Amino acid sequence: MPAESAVKIENLVKDFKTSREPLRAVDGVSLEIAAGEVYGLIGPNGSGKSTTMKALLGLVAPTSGSCSIFGRDSMKVDSRNDVGFLPENPYFYKHLTGAETIRFYGRLCGLRGKALVQRIEELLVLVGLEDARDRRLGGYSKGMLQRIGLAQALVQEPRLVILDEPTAGVDPLGSRQIRDLIFSLRARGITVFLCSHLLEQVQEVCDRVGIIFRGKMVKEGPLEELISIENQTEIILENAPPELIARLSAMIAAEPAATLVKTGRPRTTLERLFLREAAHQRDSETR
Amino acid sequence: MSIKRPPLFSPSRTVVIASHTFTQLVRMKVFYFLAFFAVVIIASNFLILPQFAPPETGATAVTENQLRMLKSAAMGTMKLFSIIFAIVSTALLLPKDVEDRTLYTILAKPVPRLDYLLGKLLGVLALIFVSLALMDLLMSGMLAVRANMVLASQMQLADQLGWSDSVRESIRSSVAMHGVTGSLQAGVFAIFLQSAVVASMALFISTFATSTLFTTITATLVYFIGNFQAEARDYWLASPDGGQTALAHFGALAMALVFPDFGLFNVIDTAIEGLVIPFSAIASLTGIAVLYTAIYTVFSWFVFSNKEF
Repeated sequence: MPAESAVKIENLVKDFKTSREPLRAVDGVSLEIAAGEVYGLIGPNGSGKSTTMKALLGLVAPTSGSCSIFGRDSMKVDSRNDVGFLPENPYFYKHLTGAETIRFYGRLCGLRGKALVQRIEELLVLVGLEDARDRRLGGYSKGMLQRIGLAQALVQEPRLVILDEPTAGVDPLGSRQIRDLIFSLRARGITVFLCSHLLEQVQEVCDRVGIIFRGKMVKEGPLEELISIENQTEIILENAPPELIARLSAMIAAEPAATLVKTGRPRTTLERLFLREAAHQRDSETR
Repeated sequence: MSIKRPPLFSPSRTVVIASHTFTQLVRMKVFYFLAFFAVVIIASNFLILPQFAPPETGATAVTENQLRMLKSAAMGTMKLFSIIFAIVSTALLLPKDVEDRTLYTILAKPVPRLDYLLGKLLGVLALIFVSLALMDLLMSGMLAVRANMVLASQMQLADQLGWSDSVRESIRSSVAMHGVTGSLQAGVFAIFLQSAVVASMALFISTFATSTLFTTITATLVYFIGNFQAEARDYWLASPDGGQTALAHFGALAMALVFPDFGLFNVIDTAIEGLVIPFSAIASLTGIAVLYTAIYTVFSWFVFSNKEF
């Protein structure tokens, strides 16, 4: 891990006051995200994911423990120079257009003049909302709102982007666009910290994953290490004749230590099927 | 791209939030409706028919009444709307940002919470200022036209009835006194000052309130109590035992501290009566309003800076 971590959370505890006894939302969570990494924090609803993110953004104060962003205490305002944040189900200001929304957030980050105008254009292209730039957000779809939310998160070119359920309520096409955007962020060296309970998506985009349950971090590490089954091996063949399969099966049967668990055809996912059919339909309509 | 380290308070960032708040309020149709309503109320004053009275029983009383009625209705309307603007818009903005989670995206940027609060308050005040300026422009225009009409009709009457020069001069002087004067503008400014105190008070309440309704009701109650606090305070302090016992004395002082004395801002009555509002009175009111607004804003900041979302 490089010397400077993008995110460092140490023994974070967060209690909320209730009428009876304090509710412990986060219980001793520690994690570290290296610069340029895509980290996914997964867990069921109410497990403490959002509270952890809010503590990292200074929106809630830790009861104990600490959070830092690129070495700066996250309770300090200047730590947010390097952060872009997309909350879950954001609404933004409905009276602003897409371009006005990015301009507003850009000005909050100190951008002015030509640099701001240029940045607005870049971001509208990046999130694919050039055609909707002058439309008020009141008329945006859920997916468009997520994408403009991502644009505002990126306006000051942050080194860290925090995404809370970025694809919640978004259709598969919109979800795929957001996933592609996360890939492009990683390609540009931007650190991404995302929370989701859509496990398939986390698996697709994340380098490292933490599993949080009832406020505690129960498992954490590189995705490949976490999900690989160490005593099993997968061989996928293309255009293999039945005789070859039979020979392979016989060879495996001859080896007492090995067991053939399963043979069959690999399946695509419903998402891939949907996207392929949607693309096919779009192509045939444009012809 | 270089981003500067943010100071504790940034005027430019506050202006960004204030201008956005102003735009947000302007684009809310309810405010168009209120402005339209204000215009209708003020314009309806044109419908007041000229009165005539026998010269010997008071030609100046007629002119005064006509112009006083116009000023009273217009300034009453301006005051009503500026107070409603101040309470409702301030009570609405902060909880709405929390509810829509837009506040998260703002505070997740390098924006100190003081900038956010000041921006919201200044945006509301800018809207009230512009609204009052427009209403003042309309009122002053109407008053000037009305004053000329009244003067012309009275002079015509004077010609027909052969009033003396001293009566004519008295009418001219009365019309000038009840026309567009500096005191009238000072009265409008006093309305703005009062609205600023009310808005900052509503902002303070909204930092710990659980709903917009609570903020609106509480701020309205505080406003009404503030209008009568001077009388209540004086009564307690002057009563035979009230002012003497420590508890009553403390209670009266505490009330004076918690509730702003909105009665101080009722100098508009002086303007309506056509009397002169001294500059010192306006300067003193400005000082009081700035002090109250600053105190409420600091209190708001204390609460808001520790608030969790």
